[in-house]
Amino acid sequence: MTWQTFAFLIVAGSALTISGKRFALLYRLLKAQTGKAPQFKDFGKRFQTALVNVLGQKAVLKDRWIGMAHTAIFWGFLIISIGTVEQFMMTLYSGASFEFIGEGPYSLFIFCQDFFTALVLLGVLFAAYRRFILKPKHLGQSQDANNVLMFTGGLMVSIFMMNAFHVLGSHPSYENAFFISKNLASIFGTFGLSDETAHNLFTAFKWIHMSLVLGFAVYIPGSKHLHIVAAGPNTFLRKLDREKGMTPINFEDETVTQYGVANVSQMSWKDALDLYSCTECGRCQSLCPAWNTEKPLSPKNLIVDIKKNLHHNKEAILAGKTEEVTHIIDDHVTEDVIWACTSCRACEIACPVFIEHTDKIYDIRRNLVMMESRFPTEVQSVFKNMETNGSPWAFSPSERANWADGLNIKTMAEVGSASDLDVLLWVGCAGAYDDRNKSVVKSFVSLLNKASIKFAILGTEETCTGDAARRIGNEYLFQTLAKTNVETLNRYAVKKIVTACPHCFNTLKNEYKDMGGEYEVFHHSQFIAHLISEGKLKPQKEMNETITFHDSCYLGRWNNVYEQPRSVLTSIPKVNLVEMRQNHDQGLCCGAGGGRMWMEEHHGSRINVTRSEQAIETKASTVATSCPFCITMISDGMKTKDMADKIQVKDIAEILDSAT
Amino acid sequence: MAKVIVFIEQREGKAKKASFELVAASAAAGNETHAVIIGDSVAAIANEAAQYGANKVHLVQDAGLKLYSAESYARALTTAIKALSPEIVLAAHTPMGKELMPTVSVQVDGSLATDCTSLTFSGGKLQAKRPVYSGKAMVEVEFLGSGIQMATVRPNALGLPKADTTKTADASNISVDLSGLKTKILEVVKGNSARPDVTEAAIVVSGGRSLKSAENFKILEDLADTVGAAVGASRAAVDAGFRPHRDQVGQTGKVVSPTCYIACGISGAIQHLAGMRTSKVIVAINSDPQAPIFQIADYGVVGDLFQVVPALTNEFKKIKE
Repeated sequence: MTWQTFAFLIVAGSALTISGKRFALLYRLLKAQTGKAPQFKDFGKRFQTALVNVLGQKAVLKDRWIGMAHTAIFWGFLIISIGTVEQFMMTLYSGASFEFIGEGPYSLFIFCQDFFTALVLLGVLFAAYRRFILKPKHLGQSQDANNVLMFTGGLMVSIFMMNAFHVLGSHPSYENAFFISKNLASIFGTFGLSDETAHNLFTAFKWIHMSLVLGFAVYIPGSKHLHIVAAGPNTFLRKLDREKGMTPINFEDETVTQYGVANVSQMSWKDALDLYSCTECGRCQSLCPAWNTEKPLSPKNLIVDIKKNLHHNKEAILAGKTEEVTHIIDDHVTEDVIWACTSCRACEIACPVFIEHTDKIYDIRRNLVMMESRFPTEVQSVFKNMETNGSPWAFSPSERANWADGLNIKTMAEVGSASDLDVLLWVGCAGAYDDRNKSVVKSFVSLLNKASIKFAILGTEETCTGDAARRIGNEYLFQTLAKTNVETLNRYAVKKIVTACPHCFNTLKNEYKDMGGEYEVFHHSQFIAHLISEGKLKPQKEMNETITFHDSCYLGRWNNVYEQPRSVLTSIPKVNLVEMRQNHDQGLCCGAGGGRMWMEEHHGSRINVTRSEQAIETKASTVATSCPFCITMISDGMKTKDMADKIQVKDIAEILDSAT
Repeated sequence: MAKVIVFIEQREGKAKKASFELVAASAAAGNETHAVIIGDSVAAIANEAAQYGANKVHLVQDAGLKLYSAESYARALTTAIKALSPEIVLAAHTPMGKELMPTVSVQVDGSLATDCTSLTFSGGKLQAKRPVYSGKAMVEVEFLGSGIQMATVRPNALGLPKADTTKTADASNISVDLSGLKTKILEVVKGNSARPDVTEAAIVVSGGRSLKSAENFKILEDLADTVGAAVGASRAAVDAGFRPHRDQVGQTGKVVSPTCYIACGISGAIQHLAGMRTSKVIVAINSDPQAPIFQIADYGVVGDLFQVVPALTNEFKKIKE
């Protein structure tokens, strides 16, 4: 046994033991989580998404330049690791070289090592340039990140140095394959080093490199760089469908004594994996409407802070003393942080490792609302109104169908069964009670009549879908409302539903399934687009308008509907559709989702005003919306900007109705 | 005909009009009406009580009763009730009445109906009406058994007749032993607004964003001060920084239900309507005849509020003179 083998056994043995222990702790923490994780199915699709997003780096590449740098580093590390394995094996037993594969292939292997080392180094240099010179706001300062850059940079430099002195000292037969290191060697060659000195320097750099590798292995479990281990599985276990309903709570189960998450141990192991996967890239934060309007919420900090909370409580969690685990609400994750979320889902769309931020916020809200009665005071009346009147506004349920007076619209009670109808029109509370949105529903009714669609409404039998209650965390109230609606809809054997409200749309389509209601649900933009494509609606009047379309979060990011509302607008002659600088899945929320419609905005600037400013920038004369909350928020924003008399805010149904 | 005690609510020697509504209503029904005034040096109120119809006025005065506390006032009122043995005890449904009367009803073993909007006296019996389910239904309450019948009545619900200023009170004193109280109010620190709170005022004058600046709210304040109203604001006006958040009327602000709500330059978005829809009389002033506020307004003026409001203020001033 050479001294090198001996030293390596001791150094590598202790490093890997420490590293292993640190990883084992993370694994035990993850296993100790008591929350219920979702069921994972569709393994075929999961392999596919892992392939595309891990090996293919698709999600990472959405941010092009840093995505390319990351891809270079990622692939570089995969290839270089093979070299590291060879190196480790050869240190243990000098005959363990991979040269047995033949000179040609081995030369290619060496070439790849050199090539990818250069690629990684370029990637790291770009990352450093970005972090220290460009300084994008969402990145922030992080010693951890600096350490990771030093580790990765140091690893690559030591490889080049090691290879250069290998060439100089040993003149291997495949030395031409070291196409970069060889040039470095010829520079060092000018110093007139003896073969032996060069070989000793090779040994020195080899040890530096191996120490860095082993040091990194020890460092990673406590670092954001943990993502190299966690992000792959997290991608494999991601929510596969864009459409995603919230997980229902089973209130019939009397063994459940805790609703939502009061402390970090009550999250699921998948939530913990989310925390481990975060590499603090800040993409979520840079797209977050709350963060961008100076609210205390940053989705990145939320994840990082919950992770800190998890580590802070690790002893209690591992000992099973969950009652000693500190509250999830602490100095960092404050109540203001939790209530600032508009549930627009921009964070989840932006996240390259598929962390699900909104689930954590919902779980924390559920505990605050249902277990501790801690919520913004304004919400009290919303809950009360939903409970007593079936609408967030205190209007009488008997007035729900008043908007339809004189329009000759049949109710389901009059029709009897849905089998004689094309579709049921779900009006929603805003459409039923709010004057502005009544006009939207009336326009949509006018379009349905023009296309000779047979439809009916539930009239006074309709009640709030419960979306806002659910997003605020009052699952119990949501289920009460949902079950009432499902009972009514099923009694009339309703199969097809259309609604002009994306919140109702999302709830009816993705969440009523769990309450026993399976329906084919359309947003009015989809329905109208279909009627146009079938030729049942013919927009003929020239409009001569420049229109910009504001994406509703619950239509776009939650249900992947981006093109149909736009196609409705472009079907009108002489409409010039322009995009705001944030559009489609990068769009900015109006500020009213997640129950924020019913809360005051105490911090920072107003989200709706910020969005209105983006619309004003486009110089469009009309802002088209497709959601009752958006139309309210953007209209208010225009009033604040004193643009209400210059820019109209209209629903796509109103715009199309005036053109047909 | 019954023997009725009306608790006359006062702070700093100023009596609440709502208490006199009860005095007048009780007297009008022919009851033997006793006003009980609790406080320190509050004799000046006695005549006022008589002018609204109190047959007798009782003063429970003590230095320890200068500042209201539920414990000391309950002791005082209970002492008065025990001394006078009435069939009926009434108080206004104000924050003070809401706190005091339940305590007293337990101490005298009486029955209590809260938040009533009308009273009927027949013989020695009281019947009360009170709204339930946010005013969607009314219940009629009668009192069973022979205990003292007690009620708190919503301010402005019964109305205040003209006072007969020629009358003076036949006042007597009731002494109370305040020893052994567990709490003592040391000081009352007031907010800085002289105007009534929007939720308590009988009249609310509200302004929207079209007032254009915080200074322009002066014209609404002039109107409010002339008619004794509170000044409210829409969310847009509060967001623009024209008024503090505590003045905000609407879904996410205060929910008000005054006798008269004057909306100036408020379009009437649903978020605002949700906070004032149940007002008895709604007056809207807006330059846009299409504004949704006109759909729920009882009276509407289409015009520039900067002209209409000062004109209104002038007219009210003339009536007052």
